[in-house]
Amino acid sequence: MSTPRIRRLALASTAALAATALLASCVGQAAGAGSAAVGDPVEGGTLTYLEHQAHTTLYPPQAGFYPNGGIVNNITARLTWQDPDTLGIEPWVATDWTVNADATEYTFDLRDDVTFSDGTPLDAAAVAKNFDTYGLGNADLGLTISEAINNYASSEVVDPDTVTFRFSAPAPGFLQATSTINSGLLSPKTLDRRLEDFGAGSSTEIVGSGPFVITDEELGTSLHLEAREDYDWAPPSFEHQGRAYLDAIDIVVTPEDSVRIGSLLAGQADVIRYVQAFDEAQVQDAGFEIVAAPTRGVNNSLGLRFTNPLLSDIRVRQALVHGVDAQEVVDTIFTENYPVATSELASSAKGYVDESEGLAFDPELSEDLLDEAGWTVGADGVREKDGQRLSLAVYEAKPQPLSKQTLELASQQLAKIGVELTVKAADSGSYAEDILDPLKTPLYHSMVGRADNDVIKSQYHTKNRNTLRSDDAELDRLLEAVASEPDPAKRDEASAAVQDYLTEQAYVIPLFEEPQVYGAAPYVHGFTTEAVARPHFYDTWLDNQ
Amino acid sequence: MAYLARRTGQALIVLAIAFTATFVMLQALPGDAILIRFESPELGLSPEQIADIRAAYGADVPPLQQYLHTLIGFLQGDFGTSVQYGTPVRELIGSALPDTLPLAGLGFLVAVVLAVALAFLSTLAPFGWLRRVLRALPSVFVSVPVFWLGIVLIQVFSFQLRLVPVIGADPVQALILPVLTLAIPISAPLAQILARSIDEVQLSPFVAVVRAKGAGPARVLWRDVARNALLPAITIAGVLIGELIGGAVVTETVFGRAGIGRITEQAVANQDVAVLQAIVILAALVFVLVNLAVDLVYPILDPRLKRKAVAA
Amino acid sequence: MSAPVDIPVRADAAAPPVGIAVLPALDGSVPSTAAAAAAAGPAARAARRLRSVPPGLVLAWLVIAVVIAWALVPWLFTAQDPVSGVPAEKLQGPSLAHLFGTDAIGRDLFTRVVYGAVHSLSGAFVAVTVGLAGGTLLGVLAGSIGGVVDAVVMRLVDVLLAIPGLLLALSIIILLGFGTVNAAIAVGVGSIAAFARVSRSEVVRVRQADFVEAAFGSGGRLSAVLVRHVLPNSLTAVIGLAALQFGAAILAISTLGFLGYGAPPPTPEWGLLIAEGRNYVATSWWLTVLPGLVVVAVVLSANRISQSLGRTR
Repeated sequence: MSTPRIRRLALASTAALAATALLASCVGQAAGAGSAAVGDPVEGGTLTYLEHQAHTTLYPPQAGFYPNGGIVNNITARLTWQDPDTLGIEPWVATDWTVNADATEYTFDLRDDVTFSDGTPLDAAAVAKNFDTYGLGNADLGLTISEAINNYASSEVVDPDTVTFRFSAPAPGFLQATSTINSGLLSPKTLDRRLEDFGAGSSTEIVGSGPFVITDEELGTSLHLEAREDYDWAPPSFEHQGRAYLDAIDIVVTPEDSVRIGSLLAGQADVIRYVQAFDEAQVQDAGFEIVAAPTRGVNNSLGLRFTNPLLSDIRVRQALVHGVDAQEVVDTIFTENYPVATSELASSAKGYVDESEGLAFDPELSEDLLDEAGWTVGADGVREKDGQRLSLAVYEAKPQPLSKQTLELASQQLAKIGVELTVKAADSGSYAEDILDPLKTPLYHSMVGRADNDVIKSQYHTKNRNTLRSDDAELDRLLEAVASEPDPAKRDEASAAVQDYLTEQAYVIPLFEEPQVYGAAPYVHGFTTEAVARPHFYDTWLDNQ
Repeated sequence: MAYLARRTGQALIVLAIAFTATFVMLQALPGDAILIRFESPELGLSPEQIADIRAAYGADVPPLQQYLHTLIGFLQGDFGTSVQYGTPVRELIGSALPDTLPLAGLGFLVAVVLAVALAFLSTLAPFGWLRRVLRALPSVFVSVPVFWLGIVLIQVFSFQLRLVPVIGADPVQALILPVLTLAIPISAPLAQILARSIDEVQLSPFVAVVRAKGAGPARVLWRDVARNALLPAITIAGVLIGELIGGAVVTETVFGRAGIGRITEQAVANQDVAVLQAIVILAALVFVLVNLAVDLVYPILDPRLKRKAVAA
Repeated sequence: MSAPVDIPVRADAAAPPVGIAVLPALDGSVPSTAAAAAAAGPAARAARRLRSVPPGLVLAWLVIAVVIAWALVPWLFTAQDPVSGVPAEKLQGPSLAHLFGTDAIGRDLFTRVVYGAVHSLSGAFVAVTVGLAGGTLLGVLAGSIGGVVDAVVMRLVDVLLAIPGLLLALSIIILLGFGTVNAAIAVGVGSIAAFARVSRSEVVRVRQADFVEAAFGSGGRLSAVLVRHVLPNSLTAVIGLAALQFGAAILAISTLGFLGYGAPPPTPEWGLLIAEGRNYVATSWWLTVLPGLVVVAVVLSANRISQSLGRTR
């Protein structure tokens, strides 16, 4: 077994996928702002960006929450850059890297001209400290391990421009992990802060390495970011080098949907996040742009928690899967920016295979399956068996777009096959407690975005999010294969095996591929997002000055 | 003096009960701040890590111990740390108060002005139908939800007419619509009471005499009602504190202002106990002080009370 | 939160009941019966008697009657399903087929409003009952026994007023779980203080009246005097407040819906309809405006009736 060093592993691995991803992004980003930019970019100006919610922390491993990630993405550089279209991994702070054959050792060569915003150099020691923190956590400081990094063992500073990371088991997802916002590079001094010192209120003290710096914060309402004049380490693949075009960004928290939309259309804001599906037409009719970026992960879906006795019978689960009409959900509540799911994974995700046959809407089949399983229609139209009603519950999931409407419609559809689905709403305390219990929450509405094969493990493995509250060792085994298979082609096969298994066991009702939808004023150009749809303001410029 | 001492004693008792009751109530809620903030599957923290976090926040000891700890902290002026924001509570409230005080203060002031204007106009307006419409207006004001009023005001004045921006407004502009939103519902009960006292004054024999001497109705109303009107306004002030906070929660959410109201709402949602304890103490303190002030000012303004006090 | 909750009365143990009657006096629309009488044409006495009832009040009762009918027999008013609609007919404006238009998943809004009446009215009813029962009990105890009991009860009432009402309401909902009735209880608890103060000051006022003194003087026991003389005479103001609270409770429940503490779906409770429709205010105005107008009509009517109740006596 020879072990040649594999260069640019991920880049090669995604060549095949690139075509698919491109296709998908054509659908998703058709209206991308600035795609038809006129004239040359202009430097200067302040962009007002309206956020839906206030951010909670800037500790990168906890930046999965969109408001956090939107900030971290702009104030930190990463070792690598993942092209949002091809999903290939490209150099950024790292100029080059090598990976051993079983993906247990990664060595990165670094640029030598990168500094943090306080002027200290970003060298191998700083990078090592970043990944030691993200890979191992720091219990004394309350800093947690990054979900994106598996099997991390140690770092070694080879020389000021070279750093090596070692893993206790194969970690093929690590290269992509270095490109995510969860691995945003912060100054070593910042990493000495306790978790609560990353929280809102201390944002101006977070020292990053990206094109913008937070200079002012009004707790819970707004952040002011300014461009770093000395930023000169954009990924080499970018056409644009040097400092960002914008002088500054004002991030303003505006929770009311109608106020965000109204402000944009009235010219009080330039870019807004979280345009609801029903407002898209309004934005476009006014000549503004909708930017819908795919999140490339596990689809927006309902997990069927099979440890709940009602769902332990595979026929019941299959009946539910075939009883929900995802097409109708999308047609009624969403827009073409929300493609109907054809698998547990988004078609733009890495490792996707088409499962649409096994997931097809077929209410007659559902009724047959339920009949066969011994559930007969009772007096009130809900099926019964041994005196028990086929009544299930699901919580409205606040982070999912229009979750309530989606679930109400699903409930209407399931009622037609004699299944009662109660949509519950609760305060965050009861919700946090109840969603951990399959008896109280037999169906769970969720999604997760990340442009790597590992994403499916994040969602379903018992040691990760474990959204199914699973006890299925076979599922865990299949997921671990995804996270530890160094060969890219085999890794995609492993992903496919997981999707096949999930479909076969009818563990999940996939609904749609969830995008992040932004609205932008017509004079905003070059507004783009990173691979999982977080706003990237480096290339953005305004021509209304 | 003895009266003041007694009142202060009562105030302290109210504060103590409010503090304790809040603590008990929050302990009884399902889940807690750490569960909400750190145990969501999204973060994927291990049970050991969560136990560490719990210990770091002092949430791993029995409730009674936590209570004493919080109480002692409060007595020493240490309000603890918000679990949700990771920020000291004192800092959190310190940054929110300057946002809420002008809103609440102006809101109350505008409410009084609006109420007086409505009450007078509804008596003095030239046409019967107009007077009747004006009289009915307060009832309409109280039958519209505050959040709805805020959203409609924004839609009309900011987005359609484009008179005041909501985003990127200067501090004065940023107050106009929120203050109106807060003031309109509060002005309604005031206006109703004023209108009533105007009616009473008009019927009083004294006014008949003054009128007979040739004083115009406007002058009569102004001189006698103004003084009488002050009383209910002040009376209500004490009771309206809670309402101002409630109104502020909604107004601040609609307008995206980070004031005390917004923090209260977020803290309830996330069961951020330390923050809520501080807010309750703050609100109770304001309530107690305002009421004390009202009680002290009242006899000065109301001669009838003075007379009664003398007689007794 | 709820505008008229705490309106007027301020009379606790420390400050003696203030002379000016700050009862929940309400909207003006002063009935001009004189004009009616003057216009006595050939149309007979019956008409005159009818017209002596202010038309506003008649309308108010009519509104309440219709709404109660919606609550009791909603199927008489609409043939459509409040819970499941036709997804393809989503977000249609008001028309003959859909008087109030349709919502985001194609349900007929008018039908939802009609079927929502039972939730909203019973919610308001529960809220008022909780406040009325709790508050009156406390107020009457404090006012009639006096002394230490009075001091203790009124301190408790102070605490209730001192803790921000919204915080109290939200905590209670979290404790009890989401739902119209639970939200109503939360709102009701918030109004206990107001009821307690009104009823206490009324009881104190009535107690000092000569006929009550006389009843005591002629050897009546406290409880007997209370039931026979004090309660009936102090209830009018309390009932006026109750009618007023009725409207306020609907609004308060709506505000809870706005903050995300409304009834779980698919309950078509009015406050929740308004709160959720607000997101569509610029695109599908009917979703928030039409249920809003229904609530305005009901609250106005409740206020008008409250006013007339406050006057009789």
